[in-house]
Amino acid sequence: MSHSESDSTFLTLTRINGRSPNLFAVETINLSKKYGKTDALRGLNFTVNEGEIMVILGPNGSGKTTLLMILCTILKPTSGTARVVGIDVVEEGTKVREVMGIAFQEARGFWRHKPSSILKFHASMFDIDPAKRQDLIERTMKDLELWESRDKMFMHLSGGQAKRLETAKVLIQQPKLAIFDEPTSQVDLRGKRKIWDKIRELRDQGSTIIVATNEVREAEYLADRVTILHQGQRVVCDTIPKLKDAIAGGDIVEVDFEDPVSGRLVEDLNGLGGDVSLSSEGNQLRAKVSRAEDWVPKMTSASYIAGAKIASIRITEPSLDDVFLHFTGKGLLDQP
Amino acid sequence: MNRVLTLAAYNVRILLSERTWFVLAWALFGLQIAVYGSLMSKLVSTTVPNYLFFYGVGLMVITVFDSGADVGRHFVEHAHEGELPYFLSLPVSRGGFLAAQAIYGVTNTMIKVLPPLIGVLWFVGDLTIQGAVFALISMFLLGLGITGIMVSMSFIAFKSVDIYSAFLAGLSALIVRFSTVFYPLIFMPSFYSPISVFSPLTYGADLTRWVLGFDPNFLINPIFAAAVVTGVAVGTLSLSARIVDKVIEGVKAA
Repeated sequence: MSHSESDSTFLTLTRINGRSPNLFAVETINLSKKYGKTDALRGLNFTVNEGEIMVILGPNGSGKTTLLMILCTILKPTSGTARVVGIDVVEEGTKVREVMGIAFQEARGFWRHKPSSILKFHASMFDIDPAKRQDLIERTMKDLELWESRDKMFMHLSGGQAKRLETAKVLIQQPKLAIFDEPTSQVDLRGKRKIWDKIRELRDQGSTIIVATNEVREAEYLADRVTILHQGQRVVCDTIPKLKDAIAGGDIVEVDFEDPVSGRLVEDLNGLGGDVSLSSEGNQLRAKVSRAEDWVPKMTSASYIAGAKIASIRITEPSLDDVFLHFTGKGLLDQP
Repeated sequence: MNRVLTLAAYNVRILLSERTWFVLAWALFGLQIAVYGSLMSKLVSTTVPNYLFFYGVGLMVITVFDSGADVGRHFVEHAHEGELPYFLSLPVSRGGFLAAQAIYGVTNTMIKVLPPLIGVLWFVGDLTIQGAVFALISMFLLGLGITGIMVSMSFIAFKSVDIYSAFLAGLSALIVRFSTVFYPLIFMPSFYSPISVFSPLTYGADLTRWVLGFDPNFLINPIFAAAVVTGVAVGTLSLSARIVDKVIEGVKAA
């Protein structure tokens, strides 16, 4: 079902079920999932507003895919509630599947089918108007540079082409809720930009979108809001500027000295006052400060007095990786 | 309903693209009847009239069993090749998904069984449309029951195709060998016959023989057999529908 039809469906469904219209496109309440003794999700409370791109950021094993699989009714939660456009994913799974589309992390299967026939099958399952189907498929395949490969067997597609085909399924469907699980892993840089632009286009056409990723650049390019997931729990959720502002200090200053950084120099710099967080390794000092323009002159003077010669200074904004590190104590690429 | 048929048509198209397997199945059936069946028929002809006919129907019932097993294997392969999560994300109910699998299974069975059935009936000089249709209905019901059993079993074996295959080999040995596909119940020793009444193939084979006009003295009561075959079909399909709805999970993810 396309989003143009599903706005009314959403209201109808909620009225039928006697619930008040839900403000969220997606809502989970105390959602948990266990695999044996392993907790994949632990009491997750998570919401996505209608018409936004919500990026779920987390390392492998953080519970991203489990959450998406529950939302699209493939997995059942161990406890808690999950709703998609107000519809409970456990109680009314078929209705949920009618309003959502998912591009899976691993594009597998359909080994002996051609991309064009895979998309035709997908379009027919989601009742895409047969009169428009062929044009829509052709346009989407051309947009994602799959048209030349339309008659190859799926098993002969490259990893990047297979991922683009996953994305194409959701694009032709134009669902009310579109889910992309690591949509650009294995895709080259040019292909990534194409996919990202198409995802934003889908949002602009009215779809609500969830993207799960562990790529900082992808998150920064796409996100209206970011939810950081760590060990099956929501750590924080906000817009990227607000998340970056939340780190102690808003700027990162990296200073290369000609000699190794001494403990005394670090002490002196800590004594300069203000909201500052310092770390050093070898000749490099890294400082998170609130205002680099105030702190750098003080730092250069203190270094001069301490006899430490500065080779170079770089001032950058914190990345989402820094945000993740700040909130979880671990880097995105660290093992769970 | 339209989506269920679309999904079923997708599975059937895959099935029809594997024509070689059908030709091989028919060839194997012909070879089995021509060599083993005709020899066995000569050996036992003094006690069972027209044993070749009896054997031919038994062999078709085994084909029905194998086709039902194929559905379970097909299901497990969906999971292992990564297609199952995709199918589970489509807007069909779990019951509809199961129905699509059953349509696939029945089509598979009918394609494999119909030519041998016509061949056997023609060979024994008893080829009538009425007989062929009733025999197909009987085997169709049996096929649904076997499909239900296999789909239910396939979830047990979801973690491994190898486990499923091993399990199936054991089940096949029990269900086929302790049934009446090769020998009438009345000739079975008393320590085997109680076991054979638990095999659905016993009832499917004897019911099919009865509708084709085989001597009822060598068969189980046809009304009882029809009731059991129908009951197994309804029961196992309901069970597998419940399993699909309540238990099935397409993928484990972190």
